[in-house]
Amino acid sequence: MGVKCQVDENKNGVVTISLHGEIDMSSSPEVRDALTAQFDTKPKAIIVNMSKVPYIDSSGIATLVEGLQWSHSNGKKFRLVGLNSSVRDIFEIARLLQVFEVFDSNEEAMQGV
Amino acid sequence: MKQPVKLTIPGDAQYLYLGRKVILYFLNHHEVQEDLAFKLVLCIDEACANIIKHSYGGNTECPIEISLFMDDNEFWVELRDYGKQCDANKIKPRPLDEIKPGGLGTHFMNEIMDDVEYCTNRDEGTLLTMRKKLATEDFAVAAKT
Repeated sequence: MGVKCQVDENKNGVVTISLHGEIDMSSSPEVRDALTAQFDTKPKAIIVNMSKVPYIDSSGIATLVEGLQWSHSNGKKFRLVGLNSSVRDIFEIARLLQVFEVFDSNEEAMQGV
Repeated sequence: MKQPVKLTIPGDAQYLYLGRKVILYFLNHHEVQEDLAFKLVLCIDEACANIIKHSYGGNTECPIEISLFMDDNEFWVELRDYGKQCDANKIKPRPLDEIKPGGLGTHFMNEIMDDVEYCTNRDEGTLLTMRKKLATEDFAVAAKT
């Protein structure tokens, strides 16, 4: 089972990547391809909407950490939206909730980018 | 002890999804509370991913045998592979203060499970056993009351 990655760019140079499906060792390369393709377009910020991601494993989280590293290296924003409670638990166990900027909605994530 | 539920999947990441669904059905059948079931599934998924990556090195024809056990107060799973034997002493999670990709799977297994044991005392492959004690509140029926 793959994951769908929908990429939208708004007028302010903010890219939103909406993910749909379970992210595991099999599907995380698709997410990585969608994400790293945006690094080259030099957006002001990348927002990853995960409200339709019911499951993520360590390979998926590793991909998101790459986004975080891109943001730190380039002085850009990298934000996550819509983590369900199970996915949020996994981020908590990895002690990454304090590291990522996590928001409830795209609108909230767009504030201050 | 009740008989285990046994499942064999190919050592191919394409089948991890199927494995997760069967394991989740097993835990739902035993009325394990949803949040905990999710975490147990994650641990087994991570272990399978490690077998695919490290033991079988991409050879998708090799099997991963998963045996699921449930007693009144304990869940445990045995994962058997026939690939490169692992050195349990070298399996360590990365320090969490290093924010970098990778190395989290072992951390999840150690953090969520009560016991993680690798046995290589056999001709080929590894037997990994992971155990989790279950309290009354870990079951959905108890959580509703």
